[in-house]
Amino acid sequence: MLQYSTTQEDSHLTVTFDGDFDIEATELIQDTIKPMLSDYSIVTINLSKVPFVDSSGMGLLIDLVRSMESSATVVRIAEVREEVFEVFELLQLPEILGEGTFV
Amino acid sequence: MQSIISKGKNVKEAITLGLELLNVGSKDVNVEIIQQESKGMFGIGARKAIVKLTVLAQQNDSVSVVNAVDVLEETLTREEKHQQPQMDPGTTLTQEKHEGKVWVKAGRLYCKSSPTQFPTVTLGKGVTLLKNGEPVAGPTVVLSEHDLYKIVLKEDKQETKWHVKMDQLKLKVILQVEPGYQMTRQIPDYAPDEHITLEAEEVKQVVNTLSYGDVMVQLENLRVKQGFIQDNILKAIAATVPSEFEIAVGTRAKDGKDGWFELKVDVDTKKGLQEDDDGKVDFREVQTIPTVQKGQVIAVIHPPIPGEPGVTVTNEPLPPKQTYPVELKLGRGVMVVDDKVVALESGRPKVEQRGQLVRISILEKLFHPKDVDLESGNLRFMGDIEIFGNVKEHMRVEADGDVLVHAAVNFATITSKSAIIVKKTVNSSELSAGKHNILVAECGHMLGILHEQLQQMNAIINDLLKSAAFKHTDISQRGLQPLIKLLLEKRFKSIIPLSKQYVDVVLKGKDYFESDDWREIAVTLKQIFLSLSQQMITLERLKELSERSKRLHEWSKIPVEPEAYITLHSVQNSHLYSSGDITIIGQGCVNTKVHAGGRLNIEGIVRGGEIYGKLGVAINEVGSEMGTRTIVSVPQDQTIRIKKVMEGTILKIGTMKYTINETCYHISAYLNRDGEIAFN
Repeated sequence: MLQYSTTQEDSHLTVTFDGDFDIEATELIQDTIKPMLSDYSIVTINLSKVPFVDSSGMGLLIDLVRSMESSATVVRIAEVREEVFEVFELLQLPEILGEGTFV
Repeated sequence: MQSIISKGKNVKEAITLGLELLNVGSKDVNVEIIQQESKGMFGIGARKAIVKLTVLAQQNDSVSVVNAVDVLEETLTREEKHQQPQMDPGTTLTQEKHEGKVWVKAGRLYCKSSPTQFPTVTLGKGVTLLKNGEPVAGPTVVLSEHDLYKIVLKEDKQETKWHVKMDQLKLKVILQVEPGYQMTRQIPDYAPDEHITLEAEEVKQVVNTLSYGDVMVQLENLRVKQGFIQDNILKAIAATVPSEFEIAVGTRAKDGKDGWFELKVDVDTKKGLQEDDDGKVDFREVQTIPTVQKGQVIAVIHPPIPGEPGVTVTNEPLPPKQTYPVELKLGRGVMVVDDKVVALESGRPKVEQRGQLVRISILEKLFHPKDVDLESGNLRFMGDIEIFGNVKEHMRVEADGDVLVHAAVNFATITSKSAIIVKKTVNSSELSAGKHNILVAECGHMLGILHEQLQQMNAIINDLLKSAAFKHTDISQRGLQPLIKLLLEKRFKSIIPLSKQYVDVVLKGKDYFESDDWREIAVTLKQIFLSLSQQMITLERLKELSERSKRLHEWSKIPVEPEAYITLHSVQNSHLYSSGDITIIGQGCVNTKVHAGGRLNIEGIVRGGEIYGKLGVAINEVGSEMGTRTIVSVPQDQTIRIKKVMEGTILKIGTMKYTINETCYHISAYLNRDGEIAFN
């Protein structure tokens, strides 16, 4: 089950996820994370503790990034593990979310 | 008395060398120093010591005198320079002849020094000289009769090399053999001479050590089981020069023949209206339509002839290419009896062939004796239609067979699956012949692109499923939808508009498609890519869609026989659309859009409009003095031929455009190698 922790620095929030970013994370993302992030101007999503993703999980991630961008929040995705990034690249996630999103 | 001159670095060395050569002790010689050694300055002007040694007289008795000719021992003998007077004169002569010389007899080397000359030999190829058991460095050696020499001859040997290889198809096994050899050398006799070059006579003997057993073991390793050519194996074993032998062959599969369709009646309608020598058109010609009677055999169906399987040298079967039977689609008025297609009613047999698919039916003919107007209503008929009047405003004529109009067509629509012929003018109307073929070509093309995209999508999904960090959990729960949604986002974003376009075209032309396959693909595309259907999508389903698209795409590329056509007298403000040729035989074509899937021939004038001929365009005159926009286009591999083309006319070949800037005659435009429009 996906868990998360946050650290805040002025209006910059870092959310660190821990666990698999998959279909089971749907509720957490939609009901808890999404409403929480809209108040910050910069959000960094740290994926260093995410070893696995599935297609629903990536759908959630795209949805999350897009909804924040529509509320003018700058989103960065940080510390993606190499093997997870390979999956992202196969799906051209960097192109979908914009090359600058991944740091 | 024997005496020699000896040289050395110093006097002592000169004496020692001299004594050695004479094989006597220092007491037995008289030494005379001819020149003292001198070191010179920095080596310049250095001189060697020279001494003359003369053997004392009493020494003669102790030196053995040997007749050189009789010497057979390996020892070199020394001879006295001056023989004793009691020796017989012949011997003396021979001895004198040998002095300072070397000779070879029966493979042995003999030599004899003289006070003034040491004999020398040069060693040829494969010849080594042993001096007192040690090899001497060549190539030229100074001999002394006090040493023991032996000639050693080298023997060369090369093993037989061979190699067995099988071709990729396992239809042929080749044995390459390069026989070995044994090279023996013999030294011939040499007459005495001061210097001889020892050249050995070489004798090369071919030794092919390849055995039948060796070959068979290798063949077994390659699992060759049949098709041996024993003769060639034996030839290889006996080969004396490097050569190649085919030692086993398989049998190729013989391809069979697909089933075929043999027509027993003439089904060819006289194609269109032809001008006679006077330039007049004989409209009666077009009415020579073939007919069959009830019970008449229209065609014979021949079954496919299967090929013969082949076999590899490893005894694996090679299946022949599969052969396919004729796929018969029977329309109305025909039935199959045994292997024959028989007419059930009288009429015109219509046969359309695309690859192995043959559609056959008997077309009835509808004779419409007057105008098509509000009184008669629109005409829709499964067979041919012949209209003796005009086709009037806003009326429609649709036929599966040919449409022949004896008068004019005004503000009307005519659709036919084969030919449309209009004897008078067509005005502000839409004529389309063989539209189903064009639709098939268009949809087939789209499916070709879709197939490629789907194939790539399958490959990426397979890659993803293999990725270490990719979880399959949601795929088992919800199928591929979430993943497909992601893939459509960027990587395959062209699939959605393409699917939409395909679905639209199929929907619009649904009446023209005879096979359900086209519609079924549209439904599947809708479900997978265009809707939020909850139906589970599996990888198998995607694969099947891809394969089906490919099959239809390939089928759509097979040409149709016979192709539809349009022939008419003249036309204005209209649209003409034919999957085959379009011929305009009268005054010409004004402000009309013309699309011919085959050749476009216009005997008259083209003024305004856009005309296209997929297989080339030939026109008498194009353009107008008023400068009405006229575009003539063909694909990049075709030619535009015009007898007179006026200023302002635009020619398009492939994607290249050219605007005529002054009136030209007899032009023929094509794309040259550089992709530019060129004229002949």
